[in-house]
Amino acid sequence: MSGSVVRAGVFLLVLLGAFLWIGRSITNLTGGEKKAATAFEIGPEGGEAIYWGKGRCFTCHSVGDRGSAVRGPNHGQAGERFPLPMGTRAVERAKERSKKTGKEFTAVDYLIESMSDPGAYVVEGYKNEMAVVYAPPISLNLDEIKAVVTYLQIQGGELDMEAIEAKPSDVTKEFYAKIGAAQAAGGGDPGLGEEVFADNCSDCHMLNGEGGEVGPDLTGIAAKGLKYIDESIRSPASKIVKGFEVFEVVKKDGRKITGTKTRDEAGEIDITKADGDVVTIPRDELKTITEDKTKTLMPADLIEALTVKDFQDVLSFLILQKQKVAEK
Amino acid sequence: MSTQLSRKARLALPLVVWVFVILAVAPAFALEANEYRQFLGLDSRKVIWFLAQMHLFFAAFVLGVPLFAVIIEIVGWRNGEERFDKLAYEFTSLLSVAYATTAAFGGLLAFALFTLYPTFMGYMAGIFKDVMFFYALLFFGETFLLYLYYYGWNWLSSSKPFGLATRRVFQGLGAVVVLIGLAFLFGLIGPEMRGDTRVFIAVLYILPLGAGLLVIRDLKSSHIMIGILLNIVGTAIMQLANSWAGFMMSPAGVDAEGVMTGSLWQAFENILATPIAVHRMLGNLAFGGLVAGSYAAVRFIGAKTQEEKAHYDWMGYIANFVAICALIPLPFAGYYLGREVYSTSAIMGNNMMGGDFSWTFIIQAMLVGSLFLISNYYLWSGMTRIPGSERYYKFIKFILAAIVISFAVWLTPHNLPLTGSEVGAMGGTQYHPTLKFLGLMPAKNAVINLIILSTFFSFLLYRRGNKKDAVSIKAQGNLPRIVISLAGLAAIAIVGQYAASLLTMDPATLDLPADRAQYFHTVGYLLVFNCAVALVAVALALTDRGKLAQGLYLAVTAFNVAIFLGVYGFVVMERASPFLRNVAVAQFLQLIACLILVTAIDMFLFKGAKEIGALKWGKMTVRSQYALLALTFIITMNMGLMGFIRSGLRGDWHIYGVMRDTSEWAFTPSNYTMTQMVGLSVFVFMVGVAFMFWLGSIASQKSEKGGAG
Repeated sequence: MSGSVVRAGVFLLVLLGAFLWIGRSITNLTGGEKKAATAFEIGPEGGEAIYWGKGRCFTCHSVGDRGSAVRGPNHGQAGERFPLPMGTRAVERAKERSKKTGKEFTAVDYLIESMSDPGAYVVEGYKNEMAVVYAPPISLNLDEIKAVVTYLQIQGGELDMEAIEAKPSDVTKEFYAKIGAAQAAGGGDPGLGEEVFADNCSDCHMLNGEGGEVGPDLTGIAAKGLKYIDESIRSPASKIVKGFEVFEVVKKDGRKITGTKTRDEAGEIDITKADGDVVTIPRDELKTITEDKTKTLMPADLIEALTVKDFQDVLSFLILQKQKVAEK
Repeated sequence: MSTQLSRKARLALPLVVWVFVILAVAPAFALEANEYRQFLGLDSRKVIWFLAQMHLFFAAFVLGVPLFAVIIEIVGWRNGEERFDKLAYEFTSLLSVAYATTAAFGGLLAFALFTLYPTFMGYMAGIFKDVMFFYALLFFGETFLLYLYYYGWNWLSSSKPFGLATRRVFQGLGAVVVLIGLAFLFGLIGPEMRGDTRVFIAVLYILPLGAGLLVIRDLKSSHIMIGILLNIVGTAIMQLANSWAGFMMSPAGVDAEGVMTGSLWQAFENILATPIAVHRMLGNLAFGGLVAGSYAAVRFIGAKTQEEKAHYDWMGYIANFVAICALIPLPFAGYYLGREVYSTSAIMGNNMMGGDFSWTFIIQAMLVGSLFLISNYYLWSGMTRIPGSERYYKFIKFILAAIVISFAVWLTPHNLPLTGSEVGAMGGTQYHPTLKFLGLMPAKNAVINLIILSTFFSFLLYRRGNKKDAVSIKAQGNLPRIVISLAGLAAIAIVGQYAASLLTMDPATLDLPADRAQYFHTVGYLLVFNCAVALVAVALALTDRGKLAQGLYLAVTAFNVAIFLGVYGFVVMERASPFLRNVAVAQFLQLIACLILVTAIDMFLFKGAKEIGALKWGKMTVRSQYALLALTFIITMNMGLMGFIRSGLRGDWHIYGVMRDTSEWAFTPSNYTMTQMVGLSVFVFMVGVAFMFWLGSIASQKSEKGGAG
């Protein structure tokens, strides 16, 4: 048996050798070993480290000859499709952007917009599928995003640190605020948060004129602050909005109805139940009506039904609602 | 006796350590600054990687072998063939040393995790403390059952029936458990659970337990029941550990700061827990089969007598058969897992298929393609031992061509690694004008289905190799009528229910405009056509035209899944991309339905048919045994590679979106590093396996010399 074991061992070593050779060849082909992100400064060098490391930009983009990804536009000069590298291309794209929006866009504005709101002006021939870089798992902070912008600017263009750091334009400031707000909300993705809101909240809550009326109108909710929104989702009964207190009504025939009191007149009251149904109860049929301060109509277990990601996303969506109202 | 006790003491030690470490560790919170430690200045991540991989390899073997050992034992028991019983015992004997090694690596891994990653493990222990205790307790159950199963083989071999009252008690209990299992399966019990978790628990725990109780009638069937319990406990151990791995990728029941907001159950049944468990379960079965097959291959190569050769040839064949049975559904379990990864996070999904791991998947495609190709080669080699199989040699070249072409398509990347000037020459794109289509999912889905169908076809040829001609199914009484009709009904139900759902599906559910419903309808009607063909195939089989029935259903399925939907997938991708995943499901369901019905027909088509000659076990080339060995080595590499991808998908997060990895190793290692680490683990594992087999062989020599006493 020992002879056959030795032969099997040699055979294994041959296969493992081939396996290692394949791994080595592919690694050489795809840019070599990566390193963990280290401390950096806002500048092209730091931006390059983020681009090819923690930021995972290389997953979808290449820079000229470097990298092999093609899901997103090449950020260097590449064939007829990309005759201009990103630095000079950003200047041209900014001009187009100014024409479309009526706002004055600089190259920095355009680059910041591409990372803050990548779907706003998608390069022709590409899908609107860029990840939100300030949400998990990438979770770049604002300084890291600025660093990537500097790296992209020096691809054939001129670095404008003043527009990035010292004196950002109003357009850039707006995007910085958006990124900052989303990060404060745990780094969620506001775009996905809108979907979570539509799936879980909009049946009961109004937002900018759309949605249900069972719960409070959330238009401009960001003004209440992150902590308030956070606690309202986690523990709805801790923040009951006036007019949305829950009452337990017991009728003389013994039937119980629970809901918010949406009309209170001399002869009758309206109780709106959690499913939105309105029950009108004549006062002469009322036995008792008691406010329950431990309850709201919002499901107490909503937070359990949401994944961590859903919660972060919806929070980042709601924290931006103040800005949308201001824009209007 | 003392040897057994000391072995149990060795096994208990890591478990005691595990419990002690859970108790001793201070609870941590997700937002605490992470603490990392090193041992002898080694890269802690690599230390954990190696230990986890070794533990998983041994655990996969220990969990995989009992799955088929019990099935083989049942086959022997039902057919009264003692050789199957002996084979099951021989497979089980391989477990003894492997189990101790698994436990030792488990203890070492727990130590390493708690000492090198104290903050992370403190947090995990805080969330999963109760589950971890339960895990440790299950380990005791597994130890007890494994030794009872192995050492009780002869003691519990009597076929003398129990008294009628005892049998009725077991049957009654079994019926109750089966009913509970069915209620659980269909959501009458536990409707609030995730559907996949509920099905997993019903199908793998409750129903087998009920079935085991139903068949208890003597000591031998009681022994089988112990084997079933051993598998239930083993699967539960795996599921608990998978819930931790799943939680790290798709945390649930906690908020972004890691604070528990839900229940432990939610954390346990996180989105990826069950998909990982299903994938591992099938992987373990294939892996266990092939490692056992490599044992047979080594013994065959070193065999001195024809009798030995015949025995180990047969053992290798059974082991390879088990592996193929698990390999066939494995790509679909992988697809299901991948789909859930995308559902968890599109970024994680993109990183998997198009980011850091896109090239790792190319290596994986090479390995999986090799597994199918070599499995087929082994089957074709096996035909040399079957008198009369020469009649079917002519088909082999076509099967080989289908597999090789499919393999080539599967390997083709979507974009090519080109230099900047080459990209420029192609107009700024890295997509080859023709080959780019082969790199897309519709092409991949089509060819993997074709590879599986080709492998199945090889198996059908193998089965009928020495049979003179098909026999009359009609003349076999009611059994084939019932079985083939039920198989046909199952096939129609599997395909038909999906056809109904596609024909009534609202495009809005996939965020598509209403006019895209036409694409759903096309696939839906194709599935209806498949159901009609299944019906015709059943009718043909029951009127003694079984070969035609098989050929018709196989051909229609091959056309539907590999050609029609292969091409139509591109249309769907262009016009209704989100629907592409439903196309993949339609392909998979037709394939499964085909395997069920064609196998059912095959069971009776050659039942009792005249044989051209007896199988010549042992008449196999040595080259074929190296094919078996290659299969084992490749599946082991593939398991390591897949573990790297699954774990690496979290990027620089210990717990995705909740706890960041802030260590100096928070980056995705290259494919070269992966091949080095996986290669090292495979080598050490194989050395360990060789040592275990050697220990097993000297023990068996000793017992043979010692005789019955």
